Amino acid sequence: MAISLDLITGVLSFLFTLMILSYLIGDNPVFRLAVYMFIGITSGYIASIIWWQVLAPRLLMPLLPALLSGSIVEKVIAITPLLGAVFILMKLSPRLSKIASIAMAFLVGAGAAVIIAGALIGTIIPQISATINFFDPQLAAQRNINVIEVLGNGAIILVGVVTSLGYFHFSARQQANGTVRRFFLIEIIAFIGKIFIGTTLGVIFAGVYATALTAFIERISSLINFFGNF
Amino acid sequence: MQFSFAIKGKYSIWSGTDKKHTAELEPILPQWLKAARDAARNVESEDDTPDFMQANQEKQKAPISPPDFLAGLQAQTGDDEEDEDVPSWLANITGASPKSKPAKDEISSDIRWVEMGDKDDFAQSENILAQQPSATEKQNEEDMPIWLAGLHTDTQSEKDELTDWLQDTNASNELPPLSIGAQFPNAGKENDEKEDVVEPSTLDDTPDWLKQMSDEAQEKSEQDTSSQPTSPLLADGDIPAWFEQLSNTSAEPIEAQTPRDAPELSIDTPNWLEQLPDTSAEIVEDQTLKDSPELSGDTPNWLNTLNASEENSKPESAEVAEPSIPTSEAFSFTDADIPEWLKSPTEPQDKKQDTTPAWLKSEDQSSEFELPAWLASEDTVRLHQPQAEEPVSDSLLSDLPDWLKSAAPETTIFDTPTDEAEVNLEETQMETKSSVPEAESVDPYASMPAFVSDSQNSESIESLFTEMPDWLSRADEQPADLAITTNEDILPSNDLPSWVEAMRPNNSGLGQISSAASDQSAESHGALAGLQGVLPAGVGFNPTSKPKVYSLKLNADDEQQRQAGILEDILAAETSPVPIASFGMLRSSRGLRWTLAFLMLAVVLSTTILNIKFFSLPQGLPSEINSAIQVMQSIPENAPVLVVFDYEPSRASEMEVVASPVFDQLLLLKHPRLTFISTNETGAMLAERFIAGPLAGHSYQNGVTYSNLGYLPGGQLGVRAFAQNPSLIAPFDINLQPVWGSAPLQDVSLFSHFATLILITDNADAARVWIEQTQGLRGNLPFIIISSAQSTPLIQPYYASGQVNGIVSGLYGGALFEQYNAGRPGTARNYWDAYTVGMLLATVLVGIGGLWNVIVGLRERGEGN
Repeated sequence: MAISLDLITGVLSFLFTLMILSYLIGDNPVFRLAVYMFIGITSGYIASIIWWQVLAPRLLMPLLPALLSGSIVEKVIAITPLLGAVFILMKLSPRLSKIASIAMAFLVGAGAAVIIAGALIGTIIPQISATINFFDPQLAAQRNINVIEVLGNGAIILVGVVTSLGYFHFSARQQANGTVRRFFLIEIIAFIGKIFIGTTLGVIFAGVYATALTAFIERISSLINFFGNF
Repeated sequence: MQFSFAIKGKYSIWSGTDKKHTAELEPILPQWLKAARDAARNVESEDDTPDFMQANQEKQKAPISPPDFLAGLQAQTGDDEEDEDVPSWLANITGASPKSKPAKDEISSDIRWVEMGDKDDFAQSENILAQQPSATEKQNEEDMPIWLAGLHTDTQSEKDELTDWLQDTNASNELPPLSIGAQFPNAGKENDEKEDVVEPSTLDDTPDWLKQMSDEAQEKSEQDTSSQPTSPLLADGDIPAWFEQLSNTSAEPIEAQTPRDAPELSIDTPNWLEQLPDTSAEIVEDQTLKDSPELSGDTPNWLNTLNASEENSKPESAEVAEPSIPTSEAFSFTDADIPEWLKSPTEPQDKKQDTTPAWLKSEDQSSEFELPAWLASEDTVRLHQPQAEEPVSDSLLSDLPDWLKSAAPETTIFDTPTDEAEVNLEETQMETKSSVPEAESVDPYASMPAFVSDSQNSESIESLFTEMPDWLSRADEQPADLAITTNEDILPSNDLPSWVEAMRPNNSGLGQISSAASDQSAESHGALAGLQGVLPAGVGFNPTSKPKVYSLKLNADDEQQRQAGILEDILAAETSPVPIASFGMLRSSRGLRWTLAFLMLAVVLSTTILNIKFFSLPQGLPSEINSAIQVMQSIPENAPVLVVFDYEPSRASEMEVVASPVFDQLLLLKHPRLTFISTNETGAMLAERFIAGPLAGHSYQNGVTYSNLGYLPGGQLGVRAFAQNPSLIAPFDINLQPVWGSAPLQDVSLFSHFATLILITDNADAARVWIEQTQGLRGNLPFIIISSAQSTPLIQPYYASGQVNGIVSGLYGGALFEQYNAGRPGTARNYWDAYTVGMLLATVLVGIGGLWNVIVGLRERGEGN
């Protein structure tokens, strides 16, 4: 009698689901066993992925053809990643850790440049422009949004941005009675900003709950389906 | 320092080196003096040396005295060639022309140390004095008491007062004592030194006629020689024969010297006069004064006073003047120990030109001798050599005979109204001396001229030293390191009172300490005076008393104690640790947790099992979903679509539910060529699972209709690089096969060549990375994000800004999109009831929890009020 893969997968899924749900009664060895197995399997899988999808095809496989028949540029391009990887491995030795700083400096510098540039181009400037464009009727018309809705959305977004930033304004003066309080207008803005921030966090929490609830429902459905198949 | 001028006065009686023409005084000599001189001539050859040296003298004939009244002194010198041993004034008296006195060496001052008996002071000031005598002299004058200053002035400038001073001697001696012992701690010692200073002058200057007076006493003293201690001067042979006789006449035993008698003597006689009774008490009384009744009329008043005073202090005077050299030590000299000048006073040819004792001439000459301890002490015989000066007293006392001159200045000490203090000093001195038994030890200072070391600093005092006899000033030539001086020699313990003696450290342990080899200083004050190495040397450190003991007990009243208690409480409160107020850890209630779990499990399980579907799917499309639907509908047929799988496997259930209707519609309508890539390591696996699971009905095959590029390493850098040059960054699929020439990626070489970019992610950061890094490289590439419910709020602004063309988020978005896909695949609908019940339950629970918190807060406020 051949055991189908779906049966094995279904049994393991059922067992691991119960093991994880056992956390309901607290931390227990069954829960830890399930967690350790997930971590171990994931690590092994990631290691295999790194080797088979990163090191082998992107570092080693191009090296030999480049050294044998490649041009100087190809050789340099092929050797440089390997050399950088070897340098980073030098961090394992305290004496040679300074050598790794070369590759790390390159990575940090290049990463910082890429991140900053991407943030400016992809987030900051577009978001500022979007906040301003909320009051542009032409853009609203292009998006089939009437003016009132545009002004309402734009006003809410503008108020939300200003008040949220005002909430993080902590400059204050010392009062006559010795207490320290912010300026009255800032206090009002901060209070409104607190509402916006709370709302955002509430929405995020609702999304997290919805995600978790969906996963829970899927697990319950899979269990029902597993037992329903028998 | 305060005795500096007193010393000057004393030394001024020594005429110095100038010629003294005493021949012209011959006619005016009183008869009694002439008689005494004649008597001295008869006895001069008998005892010129101490008794203990008579054995040596037996081998040597006594020198023949010249035919004058100072023949005895001249005989002591031995020869004309030895004039330098004799003071110049003595030489003039004898009529012989004195030879010019050679310049004194600096080390001749050492002998003054011996005289002073206070080496410590010299050790501190010797160099200073040698370099800056004038300054030191000024300092001495400043430090000098007023009474001494007056004395000094009187001595130098008012010679006419000498006679008056002599007349007032009796009156000054009768002054009541002053209690200045506290102000002059060394007064007793200094007073002793005064006596000692006078003693040699008295002995050496006494003419032969005085020896004549002591005939009877000499005979008596010869009988007692063996039991009488001999002074160091006698032992050293520095004392003339006449003084030896005088000293031998001290018939009173030392045992009779009691401290009780000392004050009487000190009160009745001044120090300088004490020397006379010290040396020849009975002689002066019995022979000179009594046998020469006319003397009282011819002699000055001070001699009369002397006569009167000595009648009351015969025993004491003899005792005080008695040198404290023990007999044992005095007779312990062997032939080798005896200086050559004593051995052969009549053999001047053995000496070069003078009769200076060999032990006083130089180290080389005297190294072969064993000097007495009190002279051999190196530590105590250093003084710089003063230059020869014209004695001041000569000009002042030119009217008097030399022998009177020699005696007169001593009275200037008592010419001042401060004799009370000196009387007290004398008392101390007498107390000290009275305690001298038949000593086994020698007190060298007792026989030395006693004056304060500070006084030597002055220039005038130096001039006084030039008037010293040459034999004494030659003493500096003696080698200080020849003999071994013990502390016992320096300070005989018997000189101390009994109670001080009891406190005195035992010197036996010190042994015979070589003063030459020792660099330790000798004590100059107190009961330890003269001892070496007893106390550690410290400059300027002279502990005078025992440290005062302070009581630690406080006398505090009740109020102070109460305040102290308050202070202690405050300090205790400051030092005690203050517990840090911390909030109680919020712990979930097990019952609540079980209750919520049960509710959730029951609701979800029941709705899933029952699959009633009583909740309808949502109606209406949000703009972002509508935009996503429009983008999907705008994708050309068989167009390459890049799909990014960036979510965790744990979110696979939600993401597959959301993405399934989108891709089902897309694959069903457009048949796109899919290319999968992931910035997550598990993304490639999730892509395969997605194709093999929800989209299994479309029969998509790897390498034909889709290609899986697998994992894109490098994070944002990888995304940026892939967006710039996808074929270079990801040349292979998960099977390590080149994909950029395959069917799924046909005609695709750039990022913008894809028809649509679909990002499936549960992480807002992943969405932001793809949005940011592909911002300028997408061009007109539509960008749709299929996200989980938790990341949608953070991705929504990018849709609002137009950077993302559509968003399908969560089960809600999947259910909406599924409605526009004819309800396919139906997964969202299966979950929708449970999802809705669960969301309602969560809403209810959140509401209940919020209401509970409000109630609890109101109750706490009410309790607080």
